[in-house]
Amino acid sequence: MPTDFDAWFVREILAHERALAQFLQRSWPHRDELHDLRQETYARVYEAATRALPTSPKAFLFATARHLMTDRLRRSRVVSIEPVGDFESSNVYLIDEVSPERWLGTRQALKRLVEALDRLPDRCREVVWLRRVEELPQKDVARRLGISEKTVEKHLAKGMRLIADCLYGGDAAPVAGRPRHPGPVTDEDDGHGRQQAD
Amino acid sequence: MADSRRIEQAAADWLARREAGDGGPGEREALDAWLAEDTAHRVAFLRLEAAWQQAGRLQALAAGLPAGKVPPRGHWPTAAATAPAATPLGPPDLSGLDFAARRHAPPPPRWRHALAGALAVVALGSAAAWSGWQLTGRHQAHYASGIGQVRTQALADGSTATLSSDSELDVSITRGERHIALRRGEAFFDVAHDPGRPFVVEAEGRRVAAVGTRFSVRRDPAGLRVVVTEGKVRLESRPGADGRALPVALLPAGSVATAGRGGVLVRSLPVEEAERYLEWRDGYLTFEDTSLADAAAEFNRFNTRRLEVADAATAELRIGGNFRWSNAEGFVGLLEQGFPVRAERHPDRIVLHSQ
Repeated sequence: MPTDFDAWFVREILAHERALAQFLQRSWPHRDELHDLRQETYARVYEAATRALPTSPKAFLFATARHLMTDRLRRSRVVSIEPVGDFESSNVYLIDEVSPERWLGTRQALKRLVEALDRLPDRCREVVWLRRVEELPQKDVARRLGISEKTVEKHLAKGMRLIADCLYGGDAAPVAGRPRHPGPVTDEDDGHGRQQAD
Repeated sequence: MADSRRIEQAAADWLARREAGDGGPGEREALDAWLAEDTAHRVAFLRLEAAWQQAGRLQALAAGLPAGKVPPRGHWPTAAATAPAATPLGPPDLSGLDFAARRHAPPPPRWRHALAGALAVVALGSAAAWSGWQLTGRHQAHYASGIGQVRTQALADGSTATLSSDSELDVSITRGERHIALRRGEAFFDVAHDPGRPFVVEAEGRRVAAVGTRFSVRRDPAGLRVVVTEGKVRLESRPGADGRALPVALLPAGSVATAGRGGVLVRSLPVEEAERYLEWRDGYLTFEDTSLADAAAEFNRFNTRRLEVADAATAELRIGGNFRWSNAEGFVGLLEQGFPVRAERHPDRIVLHSQ
């Protein structure tokens, strides 16, 4: 179902998520808004790129994020007393751009996937293993684990979110002085935005 | 819950429903309609879908495992079978001739270990090591790596040493001790468990002792750095000039210890974070809020074409990211793109100036 354009977006834009997350985190003082900023950045890039494909996708992604932050800053009526990081030039986070997708399909990516899998809550991990790795039909998974198909689907949805966070992961890039928490996340953890909120 | 999170949740629900494969009539149309409703929906969905597709690569881990059983965390025995064997073409395995306690069956390889198998492995000095052993019952060898080389070397006791670029060490294994002298550079050790024979790395007047564990030792102009990723090691220092013994530091996994003239500084990190100091083994350097001067020095350990920083303003730029150490040129290109930095390229060096 994904089009060529969607594939481009995954390869050239989403591959930079780790860098983007860190950039936003450094530049924006309100952590609870980071998830939203990231998503709006993506949406803006996606829309602009459907009109004309940027020649330097990564630079475009960061420029978009910068503009978005500037816009929000202007719109907010309350003047922030917290210093807003310099998101103009010196703070840009880099990743090796020789091949931005270099880690998709590499050993590093596999490593992160294994890490992602091992950090899922127990039940969720079982469901992901049986569905995605062994490719058992949903019915069989439900029967084997003694849960309803609806529940299997819920665990699956959660696994998808957590795996994406870890794979694209801001999550795999702890910021110095803020150690991330190893080990599986608990079932209570909704798994959202750990890369920002940690 | 913020809007973006609600959207992500909805995207995950849609994707899970689609993956269930039993969508009733109209399901596909409903999804398409949802996607078309808002670009935010589409990007959230795309992101999860692409990650989920990548997750299919985990299937490589299932090969040979009993079907329908979820393996425990951290144990990926079959990854060893799917990755090239990690056993290097080192000197012949002489453990059969050994007089010290034999090594027990190796612990089940953990996935990280297994994945490390793709590292290129080169045997060095094996002839010398072999004859030395035969003549004296003691194993002695000398290993070195050139600039830009990372090599993993099997030692006669079953341990391995991975030499970073431009590094050099002497190995001496006897009945009572396994002794390594790190002459230059940095090396990572995966130590075979043998309580009867401590494994000691010596450099710059300090001893790093272990029984069975994984750690690295590196010489820097400023001192010695020890990174422990498994088990425990003991860091001992030569008595000071006044003859007073210095305290011994016990370093558990996750420790990053810097031993300089002023003493020993130990930072305790989560193990994964400590491992970032060792990514050179996989061909990468990882920086996190690192000054450009330090990053350049790091690249220079691995490359003959040097990175030089011309002025203080440039030296103090903070950078982060993950780079191939073999690609200093690409790193410089990124700096020019994202920072107020101008590069002046010479055949033997690249000089970085403020713009």
